[in-house]
Amino acid sequence: MKRRLWAIVRKEFIHIFRDWRTLLIIILMPVLMIVLYGYAITLDMRNIVFGVIDDARTPESRALLEAFSENGFFKPWPHALQRDEIEALFMRRDVHAVLVIPRDFSRLLTTDRRADVQLIIDASDSNVGTFVNNYAEQVLRKYNERNNRGLPLLFEISPRIFYNPDMNSTNFFVPGLVALILMLISALLTSIAITREKETGTMEQILVSPVHAREIVLGKVLPYIALGLMNASLILVSARVLFDVPVRGSLLLLGLMSLVYVFVALSFGLMISTVARTQLIAMFGTLMATILPTIMLSGFIFPIASMPAVLQYVANVLPATYFLIIIRAIMLKGVGLAELWSHALILTGIGTFLLLAATRRFRMRLE
Amino acid sequence: MQRIFYLVQKEFRQIFRDPAMIVALFAIPFIQLLLLGHAITTDVKNLDIAICDLDRTPMSRAFTEHFGETAYFNVTVVEDDYRALSGLLDAGRVKMAIVLPRHFQRDLVNGSRPGVQLLVDGIDGNSAGVAMGYLASIAERYQVELLRTDPVLGRSLRHSPVVSAASRFWYNPEMESKVYIVPGIVALILLIITVFLTSMGIVREKEIGTLEQLLVTPIRSWQLILGKIIPFSILGFVEMAVAIGFVHLIFGIGVAGSIWLLFFESAIFILTTLGVGIFISTISETQQQALFVGWFFMIFAILLSGFFIPIGNMPDAIQYLTYLNPLRYFMVILREIYLKGTPLHFILTETLAMAGFGLAVFSAAVYRYRRVLG
Repeated sequence: MKRRLWAIVRKEFIHIFRDWRTLLIIILMPVLMIVLYGYAITLDMRNIVFGVIDDARTPESRALLEAFSENGFFKPWPHALQRDEIEALFMRRDVHAVLVIPRDFSRLLTTDRRADVQLIIDASDSNVGTFVNNYAEQVLRKYNERNNRGLPLLFEISPRIFYNPDMNSTNFFVPGLVALILMLISALLTSIAITREKETGTMEQILVSPVHAREIVLGKVLPYIALGLMNASLILVSARVLFDVPVRGSLLLLGLMSLVYVFVALSFGLMISTVARTQLIAMFGTLMATILPTIMLSGFIFPIASMPAVLQYVANVLPATYFLIIIRAIMLKGVGLAELWSHALILTGIGTFLLLAATRRFRMRLE
Repeated sequence: MQRIFYLVQKEFRQIFRDPAMIVALFAIPFIQLLLLGHAITTDVKNLDIAICDLDRTPMSRAFTEHFGETAYFNVTVVEDDYRALSGLLDAGRVKMAIVLPRHFQRDLVNGSRPGVQLLVDGIDGNSAGVAMGYLASIAERYQVELLRTDPVLGRSLRHSPVVSAASRFWYNPEMESKVYIVPGIVALILLIITVFLTSMGIVREKEIGTLEQLLVTPIRSWQLILGKIIPFSILGFVEMAVAIGFVHLIFGIGVAGSIWLLFFESAIFILTTLGVGIFISTISETQQQALFVGWFFMIFAILLSGFFIPIGNMPDAIQYLTYLNPLRYFMVILREIYLKGTPLHFILTETLAMAGFGLAVFSAAVYRYRRVLG
């Protein structure tokens, strides 16, 4: 038993190391992604260029323009501008917004004590639109406060940020990357490795040998478990070294939960390999059933609570959703099983169910 | 000419013979479109928050009521004990907690500015930032309302000149992120389908040995290449056309500009993706390698394209890097035509850059392919 299993494990490792291109990509990709994410990715806007149509041309309007320019976030577009040119400017992407100060601006300000300026925003990217609008309101608030010493500020809001005080996106991203890579290696590589043996006909050769189905599955799966866990550690170490991403909780618990998650992913891979006949199909199937939902629906980048109800239901049965909650909590909050037992239980439940179903189906297929 | 026709015919037969392939080609992109179109959002909705009102006065209650009314926040917990809040954050039951201090109303009326404390789970920095923005504007609205309605507090307001902004949001008046994201997904589908089909289609022939059979026939290598390129570009265009119709039907997002311009630009873009596909096939021995190399290329092409992270936000060094990314240009072009109806002369720079890049990649790939074949 032990010797036969060992032989299959060794054979699988030879396969893995022979294909150095795949191996290199698997090892290099997550590290490069961390670097890219750590340095490049932020949704904070900078350098917003705005055009100005100042119909008032009064000291008050000039003071307002001054207030917009001095905050560093807005940069005035240095050319004069007509109303009918706005569309063309937006299409050339020269400006993000246009500020229009009406002719009677100063008069309204003195007689009515209220004057509106118009802000036309290129909102094709709603995110940019929101940022520009918020910053403009901030500028106006400051401008009003400066002009009116008596304007009361009724209360102050003082935020205290927990777990990730600088609201650093790398801290958010790295745990998700671990979940993604574990899924990629365990599900995708396993399903392809098994389908390849079917496609090239070597699976039948193994089947006529005295090896048990159990040993084939185990022998196929063990090397990928090792590869996955190794890669996960590499991600955690490089994130720690490069960007100080911490692991505040128990490493042992983290390893244990990762192992459970790896079993879930492997079961998916096994399941798909029993259905797919070619590597191409196995690949598309795995992408659709595991990788894509893991990236899009698990809360990896986009918050689940903001999705439509149907997608939230889907998210609630995804193993990655639970694993992400667990791994983020262990790494960033430093909490343990006391807070996480319910999520851990669900993940283990899904894992056991899938593993049983997959091995059963796999054995049926082999016999 | 006839030889090319036969090769094209052969390729189509190979694709449509396998029902799973048809599913992969047509069903998957649209599931993708549906999924991504709804899932990718930078809006924050239904954020679970806890409120701890230590004051329990009409004013503190009015303040907290403002949060229950919006779609941004769900007030899931109302807590009396200040010390329980960090436990709620730890267990992940809420993402934010608001604490109204004792004597909130009294301090507010006599002008000593009570401090409202906000406890925020900062792990998802972007969402937390957006949510804090919403919260600040809700608080601001409450403040303005108090100043307007309260006879004592409002006295000072009536004598102060105040400027406010009336904002108008062009091209996306409802401010939904899907308007911006969904046309981007159309570009992604075109990219994924053409790169994977080309690279894996060629490598499969290598892997199972039929490429060698083709090589001993009188077919020239350029005919062989055309025989691969033509069917895959046709499929790319069909895919694109169906995607545009689908986007209109499901998301109600139509093409504001010229649809012919859109297809013209797509043709230029496909030149690049086919080139990349052929190139990948020359450096891969097995389909698995082609898959991983293709995957590797795409992850970085997507991250650095401005698809969901604006390029303007990146550090300068990385911004220069994005100029090497053909998807970056296509992303801009597609969104401009889709959302604003921008004519060609305003996106000429992007078009030329994309065309230059496409020609270079394509000829390099074909050159390499012919050398590998020869």
